[in-house]
Amino acid sequence: MSGERQLRFELNGAPVAARAASHETLLEVLRTRFGQHGVRESCGQGVCGTCTVSVDGRAVSSCLMLAAMADGTRVRTAEGLSAVPELHPIVQAFVEEFAFQCGFCTPGMVMMAGSLLAENPDPSVDQIRAYLNGNLCRCGCYPEIIRAVRAAAVMLNDAGR
Amino acid sequence: MTTAPQTFELREPGSVDEALALLGDRAEDVRPIAGGTALMLVMRYGYFWPETLVSLRRLAAELGGISSDPGGDLRIGATTTLRELEASDIIAARVPAMVEALRQLANVRVRNVATIGGHLCHGDPHMDLPPLLMALDARVRVASLRGPRWVPVADLYTGYYETVVADDELLTEVVIPAERCEADTAYLKFSARSADDWPTLGVAVGGMRDGGRLSGVRVAVGAVGDRVSRVAAAESLLEGQQPSEELFGHVAATSAAAMVGDGDAYMAELVRVQVRRALAAALGGGRPGP
Repeated sequence: MSGERQLRFELNGAPVAARAASHETLLEVLRTRFGQHGVRESCGQGVCGTCTVSVDGRAVSSCLMLAAMADGTRVRTAEGLSAVPELHPIVQAFVEEFAFQCGFCTPGMVMMAGSLLAENPDPSVDQIRAYLNGNLCRCGCYPEIIRAVRAAAVMLNDAGR
Repeated sequence: MTTAPQTFELREPGSVDEALALLGDRAEDVRPIAGGTALMLVMRYGYFWPETLVSLRRLAAELGGISSDPGGDLRIGATTTLRELEASDIIAARVPAMVEALRQLANVRVRNVATIGGHLCHGDPHMDLPPLLMALDARVRVASLRGPRWVPVADLYTGYYETVVADDELLTEVVIPAERCEADTAYLKFSARSADDWPTLGVAVGGMRDGGRLSGVRVAVGAVGDRVSRVAAAESLLEGQQPSEELFGHVAATSAAAMVGDGDAYMAELVRVQVRRALAAALGGGRPGP
């Protein structure tokens, strides 16, 4: 057996397919087959958060997930939040709070914030810190990021979403 | 620093029996994979490349679940994720120390996929749940084509990344005895780096009272040496004694000597301080001391 297999899954709401070798990670497949460049590899150990995607509604480190494990699942990436001209509230909040400098960690931060707000629509600052403790920002925008998550929570709750 | 990946076969059995048959087939080159967070690290760093991985992804019905049995023992299926444990009402009610430990373990993404079975079988001494489960007198059920057996978590580790789980075996269940759920238990983790880091040192203590005296005391330490283990010297000093700060200080110093001896002075100091704090947290009836 060559170790390759055909994968079928949903990517940001659309059915997709790809062939992948058994050792390929979900991160590699998302970037190289589907151009999802917001999914990034930095630590390769699951601790930095730049590879954060959502699989069946749960935030995961795509650098540690074999692509084959995503077969048959619903995958969401930050690109799926890239609606224009009306920005997704979380993205809007990050912009308004200047919650990024270089932007490298931002897709992962936005995805993780989305996961948090889906589980806990009104998180405290301590809860935000704890939930996002696996997402690193080397530019040090943590205060702004926390403010952005709070602002997004308010926006989403006001909109009744 | 990752090595060039090698391809392997990924099998996805639909039943535990099928999984055991796969593991028993060519035992040496086959490994089970559940969440995969630990195994992926081991493979990416080139320490181990299996020929076949047996995914447990489809076995949640047989291998998942958290429940109390009629006798009050807590039963946890091996593929239960750490996040499920963290969010479980049963765990919060019966073993709150585990929820506390899980909140400090890795990060939400890892806990979303990592399973308690994989966590226990990894065998890295720098892990959070093994000392806590030792303090809880937990035991695990290990299955294979040769039949199931039960192993106390205290007897699980034989060395660095080495466990008594054979290559053709699968950990299926974790059980915490009812009486230990009622015991005073605490896990104190020390990490010198980021919030989600592996423990530099982890100390778990569990104990009960008989009148004013300590009984059934367990002290387990992780991240010192090549395996997580209980500290027999500490336990025998505490058994039948009245708790006191002086006793805890003495036991902590004895633990440091027993576990580190003439080894690293920094680690010895960490052990001395953290064991004292863990004893106070679990058995002191109050806040951890300085």
